[in-house]
Amino acid sequence: MMADLPAECSAVPVIEVQDLVKEFHGRVVTNGVSFKVYPGDTMIIMGGSGCGKSTLLRQIIGSVKPTSGSIKLFGEEITTLNEPELAKVRRRFGVLFQSGALLQSLTVGENVALPILEHSAVDDSIVELMVKMKLELVGLTGFEDLKPAEISGGMRKRVALARALALDPELLFSDEPTSGLDPVMTAVVDKLTQDLTRKLGMTALVVTHDMTSAFRIGTRMIALGTGSQQGKIIAEGTPAEISRHPDPMVQQFIKGEADGPIPLRLSKGDYLKRLVGVEANS
Amino acid sequence: MGPLRGQPFKWHPVFQQMIRIGVEAVPMASLTAFSIGLTLAMQGAHELNRMGAGMYVPNLVSVSLLRELGPMLIAIIVLGRSGSAVTAELGTMKVSEEIEALEVMAINPIRYLIVPRFLAMLVMLPILTVFGSYIGLVGGWTICHFALDMNTASYVSRAVEAAQLGDLYSGLFKSLVFAWLIITLACHAGLNVAGGAEGVGLATTQSVVSSLLAVLVSNAVLTSIFFFL
Repeated sequence: MMADLPAECSAVPVIEVQDLVKEFHGRVVTNGVSFKVYPGDTMIIMGGSGCGKSTLLRQIIGSVKPTSGSIKLFGEEITTLNEPELAKVRRRFGVLFQSGALLQSLTVGENVALPILEHSAVDDSIVELMVKMKLELVGLTGFEDLKPAEISGGMRKRVALARALALDPELLFSDEPTSGLDPVMTAVVDKLTQDLTRKLGMTALVVTHDMTSAFRIGTRMIALGTGSQQGKIIAEGTPAEISRHPDPMVQQFIKGEADGPIPLRLSKGDYLKRLVGVEANS
Repeated sequence: MGPLRGQPFKWHPVFQQMIRIGVEAVPMASLTAFSIGLTLAMQGAHELNRMGAGMYVPNLVSVSLLRELGPMLIAIIVLGRSGSAVTAELGTMKVSEEIEALEVMAINPIRYLIVPRFLAMLVMLPILTVFGSYIGLVGGWTICHFALDMNTASYVSRAVEAAQLGDLYSGLFKSLVFAWLIITLACHAGLNVAGGAEGVGLATTQSVVSSLLAVLVSNAVLTSIFFFL
C-alpha cells in the first residue's frame, strides 16, 4: 500500500508512517498502515465510523503509543522519543481536535494566545495582535473576551483552528475540521487550508467524513477499511484516482450510499444469530 | 524538577490558585474555627467550673486549637472545598481532551496545571491554619468574656501563656503534611479519570474520602510522634 514517491517530489517526507499496528485489548484498530506525506500536501484520511482514523491521527501526534511500526515526523522517529524530545517536535505542528479541546477556564483570546505565550518571548501587545490576526483568519474578530461555553460548537471549532495555527506551524493535523460548521464556514475553513498549503507550503493531514470538503482540499487520500478490512488502507491516491477506485466499499463511502459492502442491515442468519444465539436454519 | 525545566516559570497561575484555595476559603474557615472555639470554651467551662478551674478555659482552647483542632479542621474544610474542586476540574479537563491538547501543544500539564495548585496549597493551608486558630481563640474569648466574666487581658495572657512556640510549630508542620497529602491525592485522582462524567464523580468522591482518611491517620501518627518526642 506504500505510495510511490511522486516523480516531481524528491523532498524528505514530513510524515512517514511504516507498518503501523495498534491493538486495544487484542482488537486490531490500526493494521499495518504505511504512507508518506510530502511538504505542501494535504493528505485526507477517510473511512467509516470506527475504522480507526482518529486513533491513527493520535498515534501520529504522539498521544497514543503504537503497538508496533514506525512514525517519522520531519524525518525524526517519534515512537522512541521521551517527553522533552517529543515536545520539541510538537512545537513544529498544530492540532485541531475533533471536540476543539479548548481550555474552558480561559477566554477565546487566551486560548489562542496560550501557545504563543508558552513558546515565545514576544511582548503582550504583539501577542494581542497575533491573536486578533488568527481570529480574523477564522472569522471570529471581536470574540476574544468570551469563554468557550458562551459560543456555539462551530465557533469553538474555529477558535481551536486559530489556536492550532497560532505559531504558524509547518504541519497541521485536523480531526473532522468541518463537522458542526455551516456550508459557508466549511468553505472558509477549506479555503484557509488550501491557502496555507498551496501558498505558504504548510503540510496538512486531515481526518474527515465530509467528502465535499475532502475532494476540495485533498491532494492525496487514504481510505481505511472496516469489518474484515478493519484499520487497513483499502485505497490510496490522488482525489481523481480515489473517485475512480474500483473497490465497492470506497465507492459506497464516497457516494454516501446506505447499502453496499457496508450493509444497511444484517443478513437474516447473522441477525438471528446475534439476537437469540442460534443459526437461521435451526 | 523536570516539569520546571525548559520554559520560564510563571507565578501568575500560582497567585490565582492561592486566591481560590486560600483567600476564598476564609469565610468558611473563619465560621468553622469561630464555632469550634466557641463550643470548646463552653464544653471546657462546663467541666472545669465543676472543679473550680474555670480560669483554665483559655489554656484549653489555646492548646487544643493550635496543636490539634486548628490544623485538622482547616485541612478538612480545604480538602472538602478545594481538594474536590481540583479533582473535578482536572478530571473534566482529562475527559474533554484539554490535557491531551496541552500535551500536543508541547505544554507540560504538570508544570501548567499541577505545580501552581501544589505550591498554592503548600502555602495557603498553613496560613489558613494559623488564621483559623486565631479566629477560634476569638470564639473562645466570646464565651470567656460574656459568659464567664473573664476580662480580655487575662484571657489573652492565659491563652498565650499556655501555648508554647512548639505548639504553633507542630500545628504548622501538620498543616504542611496535610497540604501535601490533600493536593497529591486530588491531582492524582483528577489526572487518572476515565469514563466521562461518571468517572469524574467517582474520582471526586475517591479524592475526598482518601484525603480525609489520610489527614485523620497522619494526624494520629504525627501527634504520637510529637507526644513521644
